[in-house]
Amino acid sequence: MNNTLLTLTIALLFGIGTFLMLRRDIIKVIIGLSVLSHAVNLLIVSTGLFDGTKVPIITGDGHGGEASGTIFNDNLVDGVLAPVVSASTHVDFVDPLVQALVLTAIVISLATTAFILILAYRIYEEYGTTDIRELRRLWG
Amino acid sequence: MEEISHLPIILIAVPILMAAIMIFLRSNAGAQKALNIGVSFVMMLFSFILLWQVWNGGIQVYEVGEWGKYGIILVADLLSSGMVVLSSLVSFLALLYSLDYIEGKSLSSSYHSLFNLLVAGLNGTFLTGDIFNMFVFFEILLLSSCALVVANENGGVTKISDKMEATFKYLVLNMIGSIVMLIAVASLYATVGTLNMADISVKVSAMSAAGTLPWHIYAIALLFIVVFGNKAAIFPMHYWLPDVHPTAPSPISAMLSGVMIKVGAYGVLRVFFLIFKDAMFLLQPIIIFLALATIIIGAVSAVGQKDVKRLLAYSSVSQIGYVFLGIGFGTVYALAASLVFLVNHAIAKSMLFLTSGGIIHHAGTRDMTKMGGMMKTSPVMSVAFLIGAMSIAGLPPMGGFIAKFVLFDAGLLAEYYIPIAIALFFAVFTLFYMFRAWLLMFWGEIRDVEKYGEYSSHGPSYMIVIPIVTLAALAFVFGIYAEPLIALSQAIAEQLIDPQPYIDAVMTRVVR
Repeated sequence: MNNTLLTLTIALLFGIGTFLMLRRDIIKVIIGLSVLSHAVNLLIVSTGLFDGTKVPIITGDGHGGEASGTIFNDNLVDGVLAPVVSASTHVDFVDPLVQALVLTAIVISLATTAFILILAYRIYEEYGTTDIRELRRLWG
Repeated sequence: MEEISHLPIILIAVPILMAAIMIFLRSNAGAQKALNIGVSFVMMLFSFILLWQVWNGGIQVYEVGEWGKYGIILVADLLSSGMVVLSSLVSFLALLYSLDYIEGKSLSSSYHSLFNLLVAGLNGTFLTGDIFNMFVFFEILLLSSCALVVANENGGVTKISDKMEATFKYLVLNMIGSIVMLIAVASLYATVGTLNMADISVKVSAMSAAGTLPWHIYAIALLFIVVFGNKAAIFPMHYWLPDVHPTAPSPISAMLSGVMIKVGAYGVLRVFFLIFKDAMFLLQPIIIFLALATIIIGAVSAVGQKDVKRLLAYSSVSQIGYVFLGIGFGTVYALAASLVFLVNHAIAKSMLFLTSGGIIHHAGTRDMTKMGGMMKTSPVMSVAFLIGAMSIAGLPPMGGFIAKFVLFDAGLLAEYYIPIAIALFFAVFTLFYMFRAWLLMFWGEIRDVEKYGEYSSHGPSYMIVIPIVTLAALAFVFGIYAEPLIALSQAIAEQLIDPQPYIDAVMTRVVR
């Protein structure tokens, strides 16, 4: 997580998403939600070991034991909590789990975005507007 | 008896499979109804068997895919299996009710499929032992419940545009909630490097014992309060509930108010007492404050409502505050009391929402000031509503009395005098608004209601009366004979306070 550019990008995306979500237009709110979910996806990727050159493929014997201090080697006694391995540890590959998490999160956010877009279309049909201030039949 | 150990995965997989099958059966409404009722009943029996197994044989751990500690696991301890029993009981009765209540076109096209997904999401949330899977099941819950809220009921008392607006609020707020949950889960993963809740617990305890607990564990705990508070609709995040629960069709309102908002309470119980027990000294005052604010806001807002379902929804906001109050006290007895309260509220509030559906269809309106004198025309509904009102208000023969009594007793024993005084004062409000509603609807003269009797076919048919009577009987039984429920809650609370058996059950397995 010491990649300054990546951190700045995530922060900027969070800012844009929050700004868009506070707009009056339903469509802008939905775009803001998608931008926010992409910011979160980037955040998840950045939490793994991530230096831009390695791949999530285990070469050689990666499974624990006396192997070369890979991610699976979490050892409470030595204070090694994967994936936050100590700086001296040699790591051969990127943590694959965060990429699986991001894939799941992308699929889920696709489904919710599709649902909310259809809902916005139906709201436009019912109310004849996409302005949030007009949507106040349930006030009270 | 090898097959019986697969119960946790069966409780999740069979509803998902049924959701797919129901789509293929959409031209055959009768087969859908028969199949779904049968499967739902069998699921209820399975959930009882699971609870029985866990009660006798200890915590059950089921590995999905045999990847050892790094794989996905399902854990059924007493809390999980108890919540599964509650959810499958309420969902079976709500399904039985909705066969006669939901409009035929909506019922045969997508309703059964979505209902099965809702059940799968509930069971999955309760049974999973993996924090990211909890997020996934939350999303299944969210999407299927959103689609069910816009389902049409017979009679068309609620306008479709109201449902759309309510669902939009619900969906946007819960999408923000899931984004916050992803941030929290990612931060937790970056800190301790695992998603398995028992493993996280071990590592956080190890760091805490070594004195190297990083400060952002507290920040993550606060983010989880936002996530679960949003699901449970506690004070600052409660604004979606009074719009969504009234506009949903009545059986879905019963599911939402009875079980869905309890998912938030379950999440707090599971995650905070397992993972963040070293941060509880910081979280307890926050939870107590939010719970008291929720009680006050819900009770005060419910007093002036004209719409019967909106009144019940605000009452749900108020009552979930009591559950969180018990969680905030944090002693074994208070946690048990909070669980007793949770079960009693689930039973009584589901029953009240189902009853309100019958009342609305009878009167053709949701406005209580236009009803009146329905004591004569629908005696079943009036007695059921009276039992529910007594249970929610906490009057002696019903379960709600036991629940409130145990909760206040626990609070006094833990020496939280001021929160108990505030909660007791606003419990009187509950008495006031529930009986005001009952008097407005059932007492006095028959007022100017347009459609009295027009929907009499959706009045007291067996499909509608049986769930209401069953839940009313349960509310009564939990008041008369409360010992088994209290003993179960006590056992659950002891497991929650001391999570070592849970951790041992999950961690002591052969890693492949």
